[in-house]
Amino acid sequence: MRIVRICCFSTDIRQKKEVRPIITAEDLYFSYTGAAPYLLDHLALHIPDGDYVSVVGDNGSGKTTLMRLILGFLKPTSGRIVLTAKRIGYVPQRNDFSNAAFPITVFEALDSYRRLIGLKDRSAIDDSLKQVNMAEHKNALMGTLSGGQAQKILLARAIMGRPELMILDEPSTGVDMNSQEEIYAFIKRLNTQSGLTIVSVEHNLDAAISNSTSIFHMTNGHGHMCTPRQFLEEFLNTSRREHDHA
Amino acid sequence: MLSYTFMQNALFVSVFIAILCPCIGIFLVLRRYSMIGDTLSHASLAGITLALMSNQSPVLGAFVFTALSGALIEFLRGYFKRYSDLILSIVLALSVGTAITIISSGRLRTNADAFMFGSILTVTQTDIYLVLALSVFSVGALILLYHQMLYIAYDEEAARVAGVRVKLINYVFSVLVAAAISVSIRIVGVLVLSSMIALPVATALQLEKGFRKTLLYSILFSVIDIMLGLFLSYYLNVAPGGFTALVSVAMLLVVMSAKAIRTRIQIARGKPGRA
Repeated sequence: MRIVRICCFSTDIRQKKEVRPIITAEDLYFSYTGAAPYLLDHLALHIPDGDYVSVVGDNGSGKTTLMRLILGFLKPTSGRIVLTAKRIGYVPQRNDFSNAAFPITVFEALDSYRRLIGLKDRSAIDDSLKQVNMAEHKNALMGTLSGGQAQKILLARAIMGRPELMILDEPSTGVDMNSQEEIYAFIKRLNTQSGLTIVSVEHNLDAAISNSTSIFHMTNGHGHMCTPRQFLEEFLNTSRREHDHA
Repeated sequence: MLSYTFMQNALFVSVFIAILCPCIGIFLVLRRYSMIGDTLSHASLAGITLALMSNQSPVLGAFVFTALSGALIEFLRGYFKRYSDLILSIVLALSVGTAITIISSGRLRTNADAFMFGSILTVTQTDIYLVLALSVFSVGALILLYHQMLYIAYDEEAARVAGVRVKLINYVFSVLVAAAISVSIRIVGVLVLSSMIALPVATALQLEKGFRKTLLYSILFSVIDIMLGLFLSYYLNVAPGGFTALVSVAMLLVVMSAKAIRTRIQIARGKPGRA
């Protein structure tokens, strides 16, 4: 892991009060075979409503597995995950979502999704496109959009239906620097202004430290929650130790 | 030509084939499952031979066996996660093995060649009712499940998050593929049936439109392909299935050429196209 640039810590230092948990995981184990070695090993996670949590860790640390368990794509080998959010917005990783040749317009992608989540209000499409400044691309083919534009459309899709929880998988992957700033500013606005709970699997540590209220740091299937400042201190100490050993 | 009853029957069935095949084919092609269409069309031969052996309707036999094969593919997909291409070989071995064993046993009271190559002479009144029922059922199901199936093809994870029951709809889709295949075997024949499923869609994809327009163009190309194939095969006295497949390939080449010419013209005018 490498920090390229550190802008500032999250300015959203809110009064911590008792809020309902939106995700609770206890004694969580997962492996594809159902036996050891476990990809997630005795993991506990508690995300309160209204937090912006970045899940960080090296490749293979289990962060994508955790996200897939939260979304219900995988079932825990043992332990449990409780989600109190009924409406979830999901932004997949663009590398996984490489269906660029699929013949679908922005409108069709959003309109079909609107119907699937049972949202009757057609104006939700225009509203969500306006929020991500993509209204003029409504009739464009998804495959003709740049990485940043496509990511904004996926964000627009995720906010339709007013979710209580938004889960993002590496939102800056395949996105140019300018669009990254726009996207993170938008996600942070959703969190601070609308109180939307954000869980973002991140490889972009700069974005994680700058925007999150908490960071869930994963190592070899284990994880612990810390503040962005604590994470940075841990990171710098580890880097210093590695440098001294070298 | 149209004064003959067999030709009227063939024309009636062809209209349904032309509508149903691309409706199913677009989802198969976009999910990169074109080879499933090919495997299931071969699987239908086992259903046909089993039906012929037991004096049942071959269209019904093809539908039941193909639907079961489709469900088997869906089931095995969970079992052979890392070797998914093996699934098609297994289903192909089971179905073609069954068909060849029955044909070579000499227990068939009729010739199965008409189903392999397609024939306009063999469409019976019973077939027409079955084709009508299967087509209405399939198109109705497609209209009802349009958005679910579109999203499973486009972004399966998002479909799951939105609450779509992906596994169940995949099973329903297997039944719809079976319906399209059993509707088409009389005219098109088992051997080139997959061309009717994939080629009109491949042609429509060249136009680079949204999903709904691509689907409508697929149906349009399918109607043109099968009508040209039917009429020309009648005058040339050849099997309609094979000739329709040739017309489909020719149509694809015409559209690809027109697209290449248009792109060159746009580049020459200093306005490059998307292609």
